[in-house]
Amino acid sequence: MTLNLTTDPSAATLLPIAKKEGISTVWDRHRAMQPQCGFGQLGVCCRICWKGPCRIDPFGDGPQRGICGADADTIVARNLIRMIAAGAAGHSEHGRHVALALQGVSQGKLPAYQIRDEAKLLRVAAKLKICTEGQEIQAVAAAVAKATLEDFQSQDHDAPCNWIEATLTKERLERLQALHVVPHNIDAVITQIMGRTLVGCDADPVNLILGGIKGALADFNGMCLATEISDALFGAPAPVVTAANLGVIKPDAVNIAVHGHNPLLSEVVCEVAQQMDEEARKAGAKEGINIVGICCTGNEVMVRHGIPLAANYLSQELALVTGAVDAMVVDVQCIMPSVAEIGACFHTAVITTMEENKIKGASHVSFKEETALENARQIVETAIEAYKRRDPRRVNIPDFKQTAIVGFGLESVVAALATLNAEDPLQPLIDNIANGNIRGIALFAGCNSTQVAQDSSFVTMAKKLAKNNVLLLATGCGAGSFAKHGLMTQEATVEYAGDSLKAVLTAIGTSAGLNGPLPLVLHMGSCVDNSRAVEVAVAVANRLGVDLDKLPLVASAPEAMSEKAVAIGTWSVALGIPTHLGTMPQVTGSAQVTELLTQTAKDLLGGYFLVELDPELAAEKLLEVIDERRKGLGI
Amino acid sequence: MKQQQRENAIVFADPERCLGCHGCELACALAHSGTGLHQAALQGLTLRPRNRVVAAGDVMMPVQCRQCEDAPCACACPTGAMLQEKGAVGVREKNCVGCKVCVMVCPFGAISVKHEGSEEATGRTNGGVARKCDLCAGTGREIPACVEGCPTKALTLVDLEEYRQSLIEARAAELAQSLQFLKKRKAKL
Repeated sequence: MTLNLTTDPSAATLLPIAKKEGISTVWDRHRAMQPQCGFGQLGVCCRICWKGPCRIDPFGDGPQRGICGADADTIVARNLIRMIAAGAAGHSEHGRHVALALQGVSQGKLPAYQIRDEAKLLRVAAKLKICTEGQEIQAVAAAVAKATLEDFQSQDHDAPCNWIEATLTKERLERLQALHVVPHNIDAVITQIMGRTLVGCDADPVNLILGGIKGALADFNGMCLATEISDALFGAPAPVVTAANLGVIKPDAVNIAVHGHNPLLSEVVCEVAQQMDEEARKAGAKEGINIVGICCTGNEVMVRHGIPLAANYLSQELALVTGAVDAMVVDVQCIMPSVAEIGACFHTAVITTMEENKIKGASHVSFKEETALENARQIVETAIEAYKRRDPRRVNIPDFKQTAIVGFGLESVVAALATLNAEDPLQPLIDNIANGNIRGIALFAGCNSTQVAQDSSFVTMAKKLAKNNVLLLATGCGAGSFAKHGLMTQEATVEYAGDSLKAVLTAIGTSAGLNGPLPLVLHMGSCVDNSRAVEVAVAVANRLGVDLDKLPLVASAPEAMSEKAVAIGTWSVALGIPTHLGTMPQVTGSAQVTELLTQTAKDLLGGYFLVELDPELAAEKLLEVIDERRKGLGI
Repeated sequence: MKQQQRENAIVFADPERCLGCHGCELACALAHSGTGLHQAALQGLTLRPRNRVVAAGDVMMPVQCRQCEDAPCACACPTGAMLQEKGAVGVREKNCVGCKVCVMVCPFGAISVKHEGSEEATGRTNGGVARKCDLCAGTGREIPACVEGCPTKALTLVDLEEYRQSLIEARAAELAQSLQFLKKRKAKL
């Protein structure tokens, strides 16, 4: 097992152990999967009906059409937008779940949940143009839940979803409406994608991609509502100092890893674990219960409560190989099915919690909002029981962890800026962008992929952009990468930021009471929280009176892999943001689709995809894009 | 001194393992293009595999040049472009005029004469020359790209000397076992 497949220092300790124990990891499976099918990589393989599978010969005089007559352009476009539909479905199911929880809370049916951030709920209500004057908070919650659930129910094709209408700049909304790509109902749009890509339906690549963009914007809508309502229920993120990487697992504690995406589960597990700390001590764990995060649910509790992050996507198996994780509690998304098998190699209880997300070999606790507290209690008890079976001789916790200052949503960014200018908090940010102290803003999002040495592209690009005075935001596994590699510290700002960026971050950090600069990369939360970055961008755009496609703002997913990333990348482009991909999207088998996404999109939407696998070059290209935008603004 | 003679190596396809995925064709076309998958697709290059997956009855397998020891193509080629060299039947493309005599005499249909890559048909030429499996000679590979690219390991590069040797040894080992048995029986009598 060569180690150039990851730059995570923990792997060097744990992969040899995995090998010795005969445990295959994601990297072993990646190697066994080589060579991967070229037709699939190009996107020209169609499995949409049982006359197939069909594939198009990309190079010669082999078949240029599938059996039904679909050509490469049609096949690539259909495959791509089905991926977008799946991504949108994942995020929107998450959002629906959270919205229903808010409704339950407003009806007083869910004792495990409260509205912890009433101010946020009121802001959300105002955004959705819900009158809150003289209303009880329960009633406001009910109204917000109702308006939110309308986004899954409305049958009026001409009325945009409530959330997207409330979120975007006016100009952007009009531009998207002119293209007929504004979603009216999340579920309907996802269903429409499945319907139009059926055998013998939409075969026009341009029309298909426009349908995909609508799906991606439905994904955006679902993300916005998921993030904002989660904030109302659990509190908006505020800066907090915590730690990241596998060193956060404690040898003398009952270690519970929360893994997946939805805070409805992880929040309650954290709360119940606190109450059961004594039981863990009685079982012999000197340090009680230690909750650690994996993937995005890890990010959710990290930015809200400072729960340390053990791993991002590609390291999830390594967390188990430490032999010190007593329970891994999972809900939805990005959970490798292999965790059940690896957990079984140790004493670890791998517990699935969602009816529609089970894993063969894992145990299942059916988690319901109504019975959340007792479900969580059962999960924590299972973890304590498992702890009693832990074999201390098989515990290998790598001595790697980095400090991370996290928790920068729109509110905490504005609050930090308000310490410089209480009247107009955005002014200092805008001034510094205008005078070039901040050359531009880059949002790092997306996954880890075995196509890239884990975390390497994130870290390489971030260092280069920071040196060139680009303000860095991050979410999801990107944020996990930066936290693990020590780029969310004040020291990193001192070491890697260009002079003018350093001065700005120091001024804001100092006046916000951090006794030093802001961290080099601002952790905005989970994948679903990418909408936070849009909120900041929209606030700046509205303040300047320009649309999003004029701002010196870029997005990058250097290690993208999930269908969710396909959806996020696509809405990012649709919102006017140049979006870098560091892994090759499966579209190159169609010249037309490739051109649409990388060229034509520029004129249609202002945003476009920029594919560059080399992180150094990618950073250079993004700097060029930022400079081009600055020139456009005359700054 | 006499040169020791070895037969040309061949690519052997195991029809029991082939799924008909055409991965070997893609790998072959790319190996002879000197470029990568996505680049070739983005540039819209015309590339041609030197092997062809065919289905016959209920089996599938790629068919490619057998590197014949007494190759009809090499015997028939009027310009001497087809010849035995370096353990395979090679094509000197610059000597080929695309007359297709080799195509007519090849019993395996393993040769095509079409333009590829940057060659362009003009008013004077169609730009095609004879192409067939050359065991990836000149692509700097240890083993042919099709063998590397097969996900089910249906393809192997067979060195006939080794193949025969292993067969002979296996049979000899069986005979030796019989001999042992007979000796033991004799001793008992």
